Amino acid sequence: MARRHFLAIPTALAVAVATASAQTQDPGKATAAAPRTDYALTNVRIVVSPGKVIEKGTVLTRDGRIAAVGATVQIPAGVTQMDLTGHTVYAGLIDAATSIGLPSPSRALPATANAAAGPAAGRGGGGGAGGRGVPLGRGATPAAPVVLPEIDAGAEAADMFAPTDDQLKAFRAGGVTTVGLVFDGGLFPGRVGAALTGTRGGAPLALRAAAGQDVAFGTKRGGVYPGTGIGAVAYIRQAFLDAQYEARLDKAFKAGIPGARPSNDPMRRAMMPAATNEMSSWFVASTERQIVRVGEIAKELGLKGPVVVGSQEGWRVIANLKAAGATAVVSLQWPSADSITGREFLAVGSGKTGTAPAATAAETKEVHGNAAALAKAGIPVALASYGGESGLTFRDRIRMTIEAGMSPDDALRASTVTPAAVLGVSAAVGTIEVGKLANFVIVSGNDLFAATNPIKHVFIEGRIY
Amino acid sequence: MDTHMRILSGIFRAVALTALPAALVAQDVAIKNATVITITRGDIPNATVLVRGGKITAVGANVAIPAGVRTIDGTGKFVMPGIIDAHSHAALENGINEGAESVTPEVQVQLKNDDPVIYRALAGGVTAALLLHGSANTIGGQARVIKMRWGQSADSMYFKGAFRIVKFALGENVTRASSAAPADERRFPMTRMGVEFTVRYWFTKAKEYDQEWKEYRDGVKANPNLIMPRRDLRLEALTDILHGDLKVHSHSYRGDEILMLIRVADELGFKIHTFQHVLEGYKVADEIAKHGAMASTFADMWAYKVEAYDAIPYNMALMTQRGVVVSVNSDSDERIRRLYQEAGIGVRYGNMAVNEALKMVTLNPARQLGVDKMVGSIETGKDGDIAVFSAHPFAPEAMVEYTIVDGKVLFERAEANTLRKVAEKTPGGQY
Repeated sequence: MARRHFLAIPTALAVAVATASAQTQDPGKATAAAPRTDYALTNVRIVVSPGKVIEKGTVLTRDGRIAAVGATVQIPAGVTQMDLTGHTVYAGLIDAATSIGLPSPSRALPATANAAAGPAAGRGGGGGAGGRGVPLGRGATPAAPVVLPEIDAGAEAADMFAPTDDQLKAFRAGGVTTVGLVFDGGLFPGRVGAALTGTRGGAPLALRAAAGQDVAFGTKRGGVYPGTGIGAVAYIRQAFLDAQYEARLDKAFKAGIPGARPSNDPMRRAMMPAATNEMSSWFVASTERQIVRVGEIAKELGLKGPVVVGSQEGWRVIANLKAAGATAVVSLQWPSADSITGREFLAVGSGKTGTAPAATAAETKEVHGNAAALAKAGIPVALASYGGESGLTFRDRIRMTIEAGMSPDDALRASTVTPAAVLGVSAAVGTIEVGKLANFVIVSGNDLFAATNPIKHVFIEGRIY
Repeated sequence: MDTHMRILSGIFRAVALTALPAALVAQDVAIKNATVITITRGDIPNATVLVRGGKITAVGANVAIPAGVRTIDGTGKFVMPGIIDAHSHAALENGINEGAESVTPEVQVQLKNDDPVIYRALAGGVTAALLLHGSANTIGGQARVIKMRWGQSADSMYFKGAFRIVKFALGENVTRASSAAPADERRFPMTRMGVEFTVRYWFTKAKEYDQEWKEYRDGVKANPNLIMPRRDLRLEALTDILHGDLKVHSHSYRGDEILMLIRVADELGFKIHTFQHVLEGYKVADEIAKHGAMASTFADMWAYKVEAYDAIPYNMALMTQRGVVVSVNSDSDERIRRLYQEAGIGVRYGNMAVNEALKMVTLNPARQLGVDKMVGSIETGKDGDIAVFSAHPFAPEAMVEYTIVDGKVLFERAEANTLRKVAEKTPGGQY
């Protein structure tokens, strides 16, 4: 497992972000790190943020950050000038959620780290995870610690992000300079993080840990509770409740209230920030019924502003998403229009043929227009390649999203500003503003999402790719 | 009111009407000239049933049908309340059994609202069902009571006002008697003794939990520093059972295990609301009635496992005679389409009165699901949940021609000539 590496980013994020250590993502190449070049991108059209454009200006970078942006910028000596006449520079795109480069949620865990992992751990004698304990079990010998895959709430995706060079290259080719890291399934597979997609000079990739608590309705656990999707819901609710209880104990303990004794249960401790709304909960939920379920759970447990990762049938449950105050991280891996919930209603019923008619172009457009519909309804939308095998097509899929009805500004916001906000990295990325990382995507012409405008350069942390 | 005003007011009403959801407008329907099997008030020949706004507003021989209401000619047909299945696992997803633990009342089944089995149930006149957790656990998960509102979202199919119901199970399924797995890979309990212990053990814990919360609630007024106890969803569900807020439907077969559960429930202070399967119920009907429990059974299924050897088709009639409220259920995506025939078996075996037998798929299951105030008979004020048969439902040639839920015609045989295709595309489907 890779050691954690973090960039120093502004103090607003200091709580969540540690300063980079001397170690690098690829120790073998560490010494080969070239000194950074500072750039002046001149005569370029600058899309500072969605809707805010400088038709012709200069972007100056220094030490990997944006030093100046404007129509007229004093260019210091020793800076490499790039005349980008006829080109447009955008903030590097942010793919709000990917599992690429992350281990499986079903990874085996060290037994010691997990002996107590699970909401039922504090149940006391006879409880166990609900009946496997001593009084109901197999005599007095304590059972060996059970390895519980899919549950590792304290793990950081940012620690584990280990993509191949080719995977990173594909992201960059899709215009992506920052990715949100969300595990592929599980129950509590770890925490959401953010990382950059550069590789040069052994720069660290991880940008932020603890961006959110990853929750999914697994499960492939078979004979271990919860072993089914119905059990998963109960387990998830109990895990949040246990962490809320832990928070009550913690608070009381600190206040010196007699009898308050917090536990040292790693699961409960790990879940506390999310359970008390200090950290957002990211639920992986794509279908109508899953999204409704997220709303129910959030309401029951008082979880504010849940993030719904996938949201593929989000347009069918807009009211539920709104009521939950949810942010939709919308996967652009669209499901087939033939497989949408309720498709059977077209096939089966009075006067129906028994076979659903093949999806029409309009129905496919409705599926592709999911993000557009959600944005139109006022739900914060962040676009993602979640579920896809490569970041390569990210820009193309955003174009298709625009074709399906999303305004170009909304699409840009959903692939820069909003994902930066929901990942808690707004201070570092998402717009072309002084102090932020010099993450850019530069295209010929004036439209990042036009198929005919090839990507000329991608900058990450001031390095050119 | 002058003419202008009337016209204006008429326009206003028309606008207001079109602004209403289309569904509301479509919830008016009438069936005329039919034999109406009311269940509670006998059969009425040549009668009309009028449904407006989803509710039955009139039943009888002389009912005027307002203009514009869709009217079905019921000449020669029989109208009965929508059939209710008190035991089904149809249209569930993400697992029927959370079987890794022996006690899981914190779990709840999940409805797959677009499963075609719902439409097939409509084709059999079924308008509501109890979707239960499986029988792998001594105390299983919570159920869903649904109306067969085919075409609606999952949450709008839930039957509002129905009981919260949890599944218990006894006997061979729980002990995994037929499991091929070696004993050390099977979870506790593996014997009937263990099942009894499990119930007693967990309810004892639940009482302690209940007491802990009671002490907190009583004490926190005087001492605001008291820390709110840990909420345990499992024990909370069990305390709900103790308080009567969560009704127990227990899978059972043998007389001895039924008596065991009654004894344990009496001892611990909770009620068994309904015994499911209850194939030896005829042996212990008095005890079931005395406990206040109801029974939902199969008509004539037996000998499919050791504990089902003493089942007899007279079970329904015998339990009814001893004062038990009996329903006959499907527990099957196939039988759910012909529950009315299952009910008829009570007439053949045990000489049940015809309407007493029909009660077993209407009013009695409605009572078991806690919805008898709303459905289960054809009475003014009840929901417009209705099945229209081509002949008396016990006649061999009888077929369901219309199934109406909340006044909406959701199944219409004349248009639904494709059930075979529906069945073909459903795994294991039969039509």
